[in-house]
Amino acid sequence: MSKLLKRALKYALVPAILMIAGKILGIFLVTVKYGYPIEIGNDINGFFSTQIYFNDAAITYFVNSVSDLTMLIVISVPLIYQIVKTAIFQSTMNNPKTIVKAAKFNILSWITKDDTTFLQTFVWCAFLWLTTGLIVKNGIEGDTYSWISYLASALSLLSGLLTLKIFEIEIDRVYPDSKKYY
Amino acid sequence: MKNSNIKKIFATILEPIAFGLLALLFIIPSITVVNLEPLTKKLKDLDVLGVSEKAELEIEIVGGSHQIFSREKIKEEEEGIFSYTTTITRRDSDRYSKPILVIKNNRNQESKIEVYGHTNLPTKSDISLIIDDQVYRLESPSGDVTSHKILLAPNGEYTVFLAIESFSDVQFNEDFELEIRELE
Repeated sequence: MSKLLKRALKYALVPAILMIAGKILGIFLVTVKYGYPIEIGNDINGFFSTQIYFNDAAITYFVNSVSDLTMLIVISVPLIYQIVKTAIFQSTMNNPKTIVKAAKFNILSWITKDDTTFLQTFVWCAFLWLTTGLIVKNGIEGDTYSWISYLASALSLLSGLLTLKIFEIEIDRVYPDSKKYY
Repeated sequence: MKNSNIKKIFATILEPIAFGLLALLFIIPSITVVNLEPLTKKLKDLDVLGVSEKAELEIEIVGGSHQIFSREKIKEEEEGIFSYTTTITRRDSDRYSKPILVIKNNRNQESKIEVYGHTNLPTKSDISLIIDDQVYRLESPSGDVTSHKILLAPNGEYTVFLAIESFSDVQFNEDFELEIRELE
């Protein structure tokens, strides 16, 4: 089995778990905080075997929106961290000032080890796109606040572009630009 | 030599399985998240000692899955005005029906409701409601929409079926909206 596939499997495990955990966490945090009555059903409808019921459409709308937002946050925050970390790491190679700044903000540990790979960022980005797809679907169907759909779309687009940028820099390291090195 | 051959065979078998696993790591969370989306339903009254039947009209969605009726929703727009929406998907010419709502008249006297339903676009389909084997045509194939007044017996419980019939295949989805208004 190829190393790339093994690593992709390893990297995909955490965001897959976090996506589900984020959704569940969002639902139960709101339910507990506001004390909404909740019922869990287990009617089998096609793929689906578990249903979470609330007795009011407005509560359902609110809970679904918050859980979608929680899911978006738990997927996008680690991805943004990876992108920023990689950007800082790559910047230190060209600009010593970045090292000074990193020391000033006490984030030197971010640049001592390049343990964030492009593949990891790509897998997380794919999960963010997947999350965005589900949130936008909910937004179109009127099941979640539309601003959450817009936020998710903007985050996905930005993360996609930054991941692409990281890919270009990684490629430059493997196949250096002739003007720069020769 | 033998060892490397075994390794090769294992790699050939394992690689497609690993690809499948990777795909599943994307598919399973998506299905789970869709499954976890909260729904609206009248919850069971667990307060046994203080059970108090409110003297009002109660409308519950039946739900479940159906070949052509999907994304069913019910909401109370205002006091006594309910809105049921569904997406009727593309379909072959035929007659389809599904139980969509359960209406309960919790009053000790008769109640009257008015039902008015239509699709956003005319689709040359005959759309009707069936309540107690009585057919109420909501939208005719020509696109004419008719409202109906229905009398509900005291403490009566009615299962409402939505039926749609088209004589030619419909190649696009359409949104259907039913308004139920409590008159008296």
